[in-house]
Amino acid sequence: MANQGGAQRPNGPQSKICQFKLVLLGESAVGKSSLVLRFVKGQFHEYQESTIGAAFLTQTVCLDDTTVKFEIWDTAGQERYHSLAPMYYRGAQAAIVVYDITNQDTFGRAKTWVRELQRQASPNIVIALAGNKADLANKRMVEYEEAQAYAEENSLLFMETSAKTAMNVNDIFLAIAKKLPKNEQAGQQQSRQRGVDLSQENQPSGGCCK
Amino acid sequence: MATSNVDPYGFERTEDFDFESYEEFMKTYLSVLSRRASRWSSDLLMGSKKVSRSQKLKRFIRKGIPSEHRPTIWMQMSGAETRRQQNPNVYRQLLQEKHDPQLVETIKTDIPRTFPDNIYFQDTPSDPQCKRAPLFNVLVALGHKNPSIGYCQGLNFIAGLLLLIVKDEEKVFWLMDTLINNMLPDYYAPDMMGVKIDSEVLGDLVKVRDPQLYAFMESAGAAWSIVCTKWLICVFADVLPIETLLRVWDCLFYEGDKVIFRVGLTLLIHNRDKILRCQHFPQIMSTIKAIVMDEYSLNCHNFLQAIFKEPKRLSRAEIQKLRLHHRAQFSK
Repeated sequence: MANQGGAQRPNGPQSKICQFKLVLLGESAVGKSSLVLRFVKGQFHEYQESTIGAAFLTQTVCLDDTTVKFEIWDTAGQERYHSLAPMYYRGAQAAIVVYDITNQDTFGRAKTWVRELQRQASPNIVIALAGNKADLANKRMVEYEEAQAYAEENSLLFMETSAKTAMNVNDIFLAIAKKLPKNEQAGQQQSRQRGVDLSQENQPSGGCCK
Repeated sequence: MATSNVDPYGFERTEDFDFESYEEFMKTYLSVLSRRASRWSSDLLMGSKKVSRSQKLKRFIRKGIPSEHRPTIWMQMSGAETRRQQNPNVYRQLLQEKHDPQLVETIKTDIPRTFPDNIYFQDTPSDPQCKRAPLFNVLVALGHKNPSIGYCQGLNFIAGLLLLIVKDEEKVFWLMDTLINNMLPDYYAPDMMGVKIDSEVLGDLVKVRDPQLYAFMESAGAAWSIVCTKWLICVFADVLPIETLLRVWDCLFYEGDKVIFRVGLTLLIHNRDKILRCQHFPQIMSTIKAIVMDEYSLNCHNFLQAIFKEPKRLSRAEIQKLRLHHRAQFSK
């Protein structure tokens, strides 16, 4: 099994560290967990266990002088788990909405997720649309141009991906990392541990850099 | 005992499988198992196949049902056997009737996504031991018998494990039917209200027993449903080590859903110091993911004793009161 953790290792101690919460949403079996597994462990399983509730993973990428640490929530896709989703996208700075290019219904479902995020998630959330299973182009049911036009209208990042071949998997996470604001925000200047200090009642919702 | 990369239930062991702890535990557990098997034959069953509810049986079940009796006792004690006998042709009929194509499609998607790391769930349709076809049948029949539930992801893991233990797909169907209708009502309905309510109930039970842990989890923003959705939906299948899971299910099928809270409380309260040491929410999540598989959870005999001691007194009335409260909160 290919085992090339795609993400780069963190830089030296001088680099700025930013931590972001990212959520994956989309219909069941479009490949959300597979994208995460490819990104975090560089692995792919032809059959990935159905996700129940949500799975939590972390991965770090480097951008110039900044280390971006993603806290990834990989959610369950079945419709009835929908009502649990707000818990996972609440406070998220980024989302990847995934559909399967061989299944038109999953693209419709992705649009529903985008609308919900635009209405209910943090106003500055960075949303990426991933047309997964791009290796199955001979079974394609969603045209690239159609998805791209939709993404442009809605100011989404857009890529077709393949968790199987690794195509564009690191790239989409990197593109998100680049788009996320990495400025130091007011009230966050004081030196603090990596992560959220549990003694503070109100956690800042923006990117947390130090 | 020879170490193998596949456990006795067909699960491939992961790279990080802790053989050392497992061997250590099995050394003592094997003698427990053989002692229990002999006690069941000589003191409990005494040649009979039928058992009735009693303090003695409850005590025996809490100490573990010997694997050869597990299917029979689960069927009898849960009430599934009665259902099966009262509805002799229902399962076959459900499989033969016209099926809802959308439901069938949803279930089909999840069949190869159920225990892909178990040798009995791999794509070997000619192998009579392959569980994929029975799993599909059980879930399709269940969805058509219970149209208001249909199929809920998570049921695949419960049914899959039952198939490995009980083996007879019709019996598994009746156990599932009993579980979703009698033991865990509302868990698998489209709004999953039962799971949402019980997540909050578990939080409240922690609050009474360990206020510091509760306050810590609340301040970390660790919603109870984030912590325990999978625990509840899968009734710990694909969560706890398998021997421990089977011991928990022994009690579940005799005593009902209360045992789920006992397990949840024990996992959290026993490991409270580890959780309290966490610096931030992601660390809490990683810690909780680790504790369900650690040595303490693996050592099922001690773990099962702990669940009846550690959470202290837990009454059905306490649970019921909290459920009513949270149901009212959710319907506001």
